[in-house]
Amino acid sequence: MLRTQELTKTVNSQGQDLTILSDVSLTVNEQDTVAIVGVSGSGKSTLLSLLAGLDLPSGGEVHLAGEPLHQLDEDERAAVRAQNVGFVFQSFHLLPGLSALENVMLPIELKEQDRAKERATELLEKVGLKDRLQHYPNQLSGGEQQRVAIARAFASEPKILFADEPTGNLDTKNGNKVSDLLFDLNKQLGTTLVLVTHDDRLAERCQRIVRLEGGKVVADNAVATQTEATQAATAEQ
Amino acid sequence: MLNMALRTFRRDWKAGEVKVLLFALTIAVMAMVAIGSITDRVHRAMGEQSSEFLGADYTFESPRPIDDAWIERGRNDGLEITRSQSFATVLSSDDNFQLVSVRALDGKFPLKGTIEIAEKPFTQGVVQQAQPKAGTIWLEPRILGVLGVEVGDTIDFGSIQLTVDGVIVAAPGQASEVFNVAPKVLIHIDDVEKANIVQEGSRLEHILFIAGEPAAREPYIQWLKSQKNPTQEITGGKEGTPALKAALERAETFLRLASLISVVLAGVAIAVAAGRYSQRHFDYSAIYRCLGMQIRQVHKLYLWQLLMIGLIGSGLGLALGLGLQSLIINQFSDYLPKPMVGISLAPVITGSLSGLVVLLGFALPSFLQIAKVPPLRVLRKELLPRAMSSWVIYLLSIGVMALLMWWQSNSLLLVGILLAVAVVTYLLIRLIAWFIFKIGVWLGKRGSLPVRFGVGQLKQYPAFTISQISAFGLAFIIMLSTVLLRSELLSEWQSQLPEGAPNHFLVNVQEQEVEPLESILQESGVSTKGIYPMVRGRVVGLNDMTLEEALDENQQRVGAVRRELNLTWMADVPEANKVTQGEWWSESDVADDRAELSVGEELAQRLGLEIGDVLKFSIGGLEVEGEITNLRSIQWDSFQPNFFIIFEPGGLDGFPASYITSFHLPVEDKGVLNQILREMPTVTIIELDAIMEQVQSILDQVTMAVEFIMLFVLLAGIAVLYAVLQVSREERLLSATLLKALGARKKFIRASILAELILLGAFSGVLGVIGGEVLVNILYSQAFDIDLVLHPWYWLWVPMISVGFIGIVGWLGLRHLLNQPAHQVLREY
Ligand SMILES: Nc1ncnc2c1ncn2[C@@H]1O[C@H](COP(=O)(O)OP(=O)(O)OP(=O)(O)O)[C@@H](O)[C@H]1O
Ligand SMILES: [Mg+2]
Repeated sequence: MLRTQELTKTVNSQGQDLTILSDVSLTVNEQDTVAIVGVSGSGKSTLLSLLAGLDLPSGGEVHLAGEPLHQLDEDERAAVRAQNVGFVFQSFHLLPGLSALENVMLPIELKEQDRAKERATELLEKVGLKDRLQHYPNQLSGGEQQRVAIARAFASEPKILFADEPTGNLDTKNGNKVSDLLFDLNKQLGTTLVLVTHDDRLAERCQRIVRLEGGKVVADNAVATQTEATQAATAEQ
Repeated sequence: MLNMALRTFRRDWKAGEVKVLLFALTIAVMAMVAIGSITDRVHRAMGEQSSEFLGADYTFESPRPIDDAWIERGRNDGLEITRSQSFATVLSSDDNFQLVSVRALDGKFPLKGTIEIAEKPFTQGVVQQAQPKAGTIWLEPRILGVLGVEVGDTIDFGSIQLTVDGVIVAAPGQASEVFNVAPKVLIHIDDVEKANIVQEGSRLEHILFIAGEPAAREPYIQWLKSQKNPTQEITGGKEGTPALKAALERAETFLRLASLISVVLAGVAIAVAAGRYSQRHFDYSAIYRCLGMQIRQVHKLYLWQLLMIGLIGSGLGLALGLGLQSLIINQFSDYLPKPMVGISLAPVITGSLSGLVVLLGFALPSFLQIAKVPPLRVLRKELLPRAMSSWVIYLLSIGVMALLMWWQSNSLLLVGILLAVAVVTYLLIRLIAWFIFKIGVWLGKRGSLPVRFGVGQLKQYPAFTISQISAFGLAFIIMLSTVLLRSELLSEWQSQLPEGAPNHFLVNVQEQEVEPLESILQESGVSTKGIYPMVRGRVVGLNDMTLEEALDENQQRVGAVRRELNLTWMADVPEANKVTQGEWWSESDVADDRAELSVGEELAQRLGLEIGDVLKFSIGGLEVEGEITNLRSIQWDSFQPNFFIIFEPGGLDGFPASYITSFHLPVEDKGVLNQILREMPTVTIIELDAIMEQVQSILDQVTMAVEFIMLFVLLAGIAVLYAVLQVSREERLLSATLLKALGARKKFIRASILAELILLGAFSGVLGVIGGEVLVNILYSQAFDIDLVLHPWYWLWVPMISVGFIGIVGWLGLRHLLNQPAHQVLREY
């Protein structure tokens, strides 16, 4: 599904070349759930942006859904995103002028699929916002906004979903609710999930944890059992 | 895509995002449509009026008979054409003779304006458009006295007799002609042949008076121009009235400038609003891109937005502009040229299309930026679109601006001037930006905390600050120059025809009549500006050579050396003249045998005369010489008798002189003229009151038009200021709310906002004053022929007004919002 090879990113900051990501080689299979963790500034968001084709690497390769992102131009990468990718961001990034429903419909329409309204409504029901379809982002709480964002992320039935600190702006209670939804929907729809976080509990719900330090992968562990345990615990609650 | 564009538009509309841009565009189109069509209507109405001086929209003069087919063609095109012949002849009655200039007509006259015919000289006549019947003649009042006839009498005209049918009280004609041409008579064209009066070889001018709708008229005139030979001449309304020509041309330049300026104002407002709009949409664009929209799609989406804004804004502006112009024209019709002509389509189309073009030129660069936001902005907020190379933007905007200006004003000169000023303004703005930074640093050390915070706001977003200052500054530049130009033009026009300017001239007063004339005038309470001598003579030699030897062929053809000139002597420079070379004599000392001479500079140039040259004159068979000691410029439109050549006092002693005088005579006192004519029948009376009144009324109306347009430019300027303040309001609101959320007191917030607004106002005001002075003085020298003037009075006022306006309006826009709870405001923005 997703494969990188010796992925490197250097930026020029105040006349100095700064390597913020070096030699990251990863393979993510279909329906995998992967957490990328690390301290602040370790390069998590940078990696995510390269994986999703939001930015171009300075060296190395990224293949997403069989497409060599590092060789594509902006528009071609956008097309790959439209077909395959969903996003959830720390700061929600809903379009403030669109209602919850319209926000969720947008990616479906971009993909030129039909029944946009029905499917968007369905998804919003699933995230528990059935009554808030016509509300605008500024009428929703942070947790609610993030739930709309999750509905939007799944709306286009992406093969892979990227989430950057999806619970970072939320309190524990809302954060749990949002992460539950994220994992539930993910499971239901069989989406591949790549999640950036520094919340260990959240990371442990993934099958695999990739740890970054100073732009390098320092650990890459499968945590399948733990994840199942956590899920069981959550279910009991 | 259209579907999505519509939804985006609807949401932007609901969210108030397009409000400011739409407002700016609406104001812009409204201003362009209103100014454009008012200007156009006033301009055409003025054209109509000057046609009244000419008696037609155009005249066509030819020394040889004009081909009947040409006339036929014009009449077939739906034009009114009156054919006439014009020649000089002598009328006689008993033993009295008078040289007159005859105009023989084959149709109605005049085609534009009216002729006033009375039964008795110096009374009110009947206003009409008519033609003397065959066998009758209309004549100017002064002829009656000379010939000793009255209405109803007959006079000899060649081999036939004509009955005097009326006295011409007022007729279309050129003011400057009055002093040179013999009195006018009007007859029927058929009588010319009957009278057998035109001999082979005598000078006869064939004239067509042409009038009609522009659509039919202009092509015909163009056609005539292409057909005519060099001896034939076409004159339009404006050229026929030298006294008005300058005034009308200036008024026209002013009006054109105004409509042009409306384009600039529009552009500024739109550029600022569009910049703001696109900034607010960077985030949206990043999200769209992140969700997989391609750059092309985002471009398309926003171009649709632009188009919709353009259509709605132009539509609204068009409607408002049309409403406004008709309101103004109706409300003030009494003061505007009459009859007011209807609205024409051209300025309306130009105005609304200009709106779209301005929108494209000034908003497109910003709108194209939107799609170029890197999608990575969703993760890294600080990322901005890759800047288009700035010269592309400038070139685009300037190109569009220049094109539009040219389109609106049809004057390359004005466009050039404004572009030059734009460059100056740009440099000034750069300088000011640098100042702001310096002042920021300075205040950063000294000012109180809120002031420092306010200034910090300006420093923090230099691009936005600069665009605000440019917009405010430009608005002030434009308003200031309009106000200054208007005052200058008005005072000029007032001085052209001062209250109580002489409107009657007596010519041909004999030496022995001077004293009786003075006493008649004194008794009737008429005050004169003096009685001047006039000697008729010819120039016969130059520097001891005959003219044939001294002048080349072309120079010998100059009228002034071929006919008799009116010569005079004067102690002081005449009022409407200015010495341009050499020096006027201080006191007369004709001790040496050669008098000093002053010569009109145009004549001197044509004949190649220089200071120190000696001219020889022949006066009544005697000869006299004079040396040129100075050259004068002569204002031909001054309604004063002008002299090509003036002697120093004493220079013409001993030659037979007649005298000339002028005075102001109100209509009700015109009886005096009858008394004068009775007692000294050979005196020639030239009445300029009618023509001067007409000129005055046109000047009044032009003045009014200029006042209007100025008012309108001021309003448009204020609208622009307001629009820009609206754009920046949110920025200030947000920063104020943040301060509030951080726990700042109201007083602190108020102080910091006011500091920011005052500084903005001050810089804009200074920019306005400097730019305004530069613009006005370039305009003065290049387009209006006025000397450089500075206006220190405004140096203080403009910045004060600027600070006041920006401070107060900016503050009022924020005040009530500051009273809302911080979280509510933060949520909404
Ligand atoms: N364009 C750039 N110019 C300069 N430095 C950059 C640029 N992009 C990223 N960096 C730096 O690279 C490092 C990694 O950034 P990144 O945003 O990927 O960190 P992160 O792991 O997501 O941190 P956080 O947990 O705080 O979000 C940081 O030190 C950041 O300052
Ligand atoms: Mg990050």
